[in-house]
Amino acid sequence: MRTSIRVAAIVTLMVLIATATVAQTQERGITPTEVIIGTSQPLSGPASFWGLPVTGGMDAYIRILNDQGGIHGRKVRLVALDDSYLPARAVANVRDLVERVGVFAIVGLLGSTNAFAVREYIVDNQVIWINPLADANMWAGFKGKRTLFVSYVSYVDEGRILTEYASKNLKAKTFAVFYQNDLFGQKGLLGVKRGAANAKTKVVAAVPHELTERDFSAHALKLRESKADAVVLYTNPTAGALLAKEIAKIGYSPRLISTSALADPAMFTLAGEAWNDVVLAAYFPLPGTGDAKIDATLANIVKVNPALARTPFNAVGGVSFLEPFLEGLRRAGPNLSRNSFIAAMESIKNWNGDVARAITFGPDRHQGLNRIMIVKSENGQYKKLTDWIEYPVGF
Amino acid sequence: MALLAQYAVGGLAVGSLYALVALGIVLLYRTSRVLNFAHGELATFGTFVVFTLLTSARWPFAAASVGGLAAAAVIGAAFFFLVIRPAKESTLLGKIVITLGLALVLQGTAVLLWGTDPKTLPFPLSDVKVYRLGEVVVSQISVGSFIIGLALMAGLYVLVQHSRIGLAMRAVSQNTVAAQALAIPVRQILVLTWGLASSLGAAAGILLAPVTLLDPYMMLDPFLKGFAAAVLGGMDSMPGAAIGGLLLGIAEALFAGYISVKFKTTLAFLIIIAVLVLRPEGLLGKEYRRRV
Repeated sequence: MRTSIRVAAIVTLMVLIATATVAQTQERGITPTEVIIGTSQPLSGPASFWGLPVTGGMDAYIRILNDQGGIHGRKVRLVALDDSYLPARAVANVRDLVERVGVFAIVGLLGSTNAFAVREYIVDNQVIWINPLADANMWAGFKGKRTLFVSYVSYVDEGRILTEYASKNLKAKTFAVFYQNDLFGQKGLLGVKRGAANAKTKVVAAVPHELTERDFSAHALKLRESKADAVVLYTNPTAGALLAKEIAKIGYSPRLISTSALADPAMFTLAGEAWNDVVLAAYFPLPGTGDAKIDATLANIVKVNPALARTPFNAVGGVSFLEPFLEGLRRAGPNLSRNSFIAAMESIKNWNGDVARAITFGPDRHQGLNRIMIVKSENGQYKKLTDWIEYPVGF
Repeated sequence: MALLAQYAVGGLAVGSLYALVALGIVLLYRTSRVLNFAHGELATFGTFVVFTLLTSARWPFAAASVGGLAAAAVIGAAFFFLVIRPAKESTLLGKIVITLGLALVLQGTAVLLWGTDPKTLPFPLSDVKVYRLGEVVVSQISVGSFIIGLALMAGLYVLVQHSRIGLAMRAVSQNTVAAQALAIPVRQILVLTWGLASSLGAAAGILLAPVTLLDPYMMLDPFLKGFAAAVLGGMDSMPGAAIGGLLLGIAEALFAGYISVKFKTTLAFLIIIAVLVLRPEGLLGKEYRRRV
């Protein structure tokens, strides 16, 4: 009897040790057949114009990848939660993704304010985070970025470059900024101010609006009062389209300049004639501008989800935010762990994906993208105005 | 001076639409004592129906508009008949929660059916063509919306004040039991009121969509403003709702122009607080007294 108790105790102990060892070696979100990733996006509410196609693009691209067998025998599973563009919900979603779902990495997460709200938690918990869709400039000087990889645009640098370009090439001497009153818009405003200071031109008005606002008649008048030569837009597509129409209506015709966040061709339908001759930034070649690989990618994801055809830029944008993560998985090989993944990401140099271009990371560089190009809207199409313009790598 | 006039004209145009939204809210509240927080979503749904009839079924604008108004009326009336009426014993707060539920259902359905990307509603009046009165500019669509809005308000006033149905509505709003005793078909009147109020909301949606773009969230802001206008004018006063809407539109525009554009949206909430503190019955509402 005693012997059998001893045997049972030893067996139990061995099972416990074995379980603990397996738990230690098996990373969160990785199984032999699957890698689980999570994202928090505005899938409802006024910012879902961005969130739905971005998530749809990611989802469609993953489905295509999984149909081809995944990466090193593992399929990728995306868990997307809706935050309605609200920081409190983004925080709850990220905690849920990490603690309940147990994701290997967070990919995306749209909104500068939302990214700001969750960044302490993500970094403190050493969660791998690829491409928060937030002003990349906000990570410069931020603590512990070992698990953070960003190949998204810096709004501060984008705003600065656009303003410097307009000052020099479009002869704009005074600027007004129409911006969404949150971190996204405020970072854009900061960039425009820096650009104007560098170019020795002036920002003469900054007119904010709230996300849910739809009546911009007073905003348009404020901008007209400023008599600015150029109006820079750091806003959402609905507000951007409505403002462009409103200023045209009151007979004010400044040069319109816009963040890349409004680069979707849907703007031509929303703003009509008012979206002609607008100068915009782009951080990858825009669909329909002659890049065959991007157009083919768009065609492929539209086959999976036909609704993505309505917002092509945002849909392929979703692919561009996901691609570096998938490349990291490929490079990490079959023995995937957090450390092997980080090393693999840091080995990416001047890499081109189906949509993302010239991505470079390294042990001392986690900002993978540092360039934009400037394009112009003309008769329902975007045309390239400049080649790539680089900005300093911040982290 | 021209600038002041321009701000005021812009405010009047948007204020007339706030007034339409407020009228729907007040009409329902007066008659059934329900604050309908799904009013904006009902309006959006009706507007989407118009959009579909125009773009997919290729109906003419007038027919499509009637279709949209009818759809909103049917949903509003059905909601009263199937949900609110069976829950008649619930508290005011309970009914508000029920309407919030309907709002979420309608919003989700709209997302499912039409997606979240903004759409342009084809409209017979131009948003680009403008009229100039000196230095003041006003678009054709603003003039049209203002006139249609006023006409709808006048029509509603005539219906409520000078028709038998209106008399029955007023009777039900004052005393349901007494109205029943006088053989007024209370249930039918309430169904009709819900349908009418929902149609009014949809009318505001149809007039707003060409200038605000159409998506499932387009009425979030106008509904809040309409609600503020209703509180300002008096929750039981239809002329009050109309005047409240126009005043709020002008006040917002002037506040944005001369004080702060940043806090333009906040003004509506400040007005709600100020009215509730200083004159809870609103500008034209009747003071509520109860004999104890």
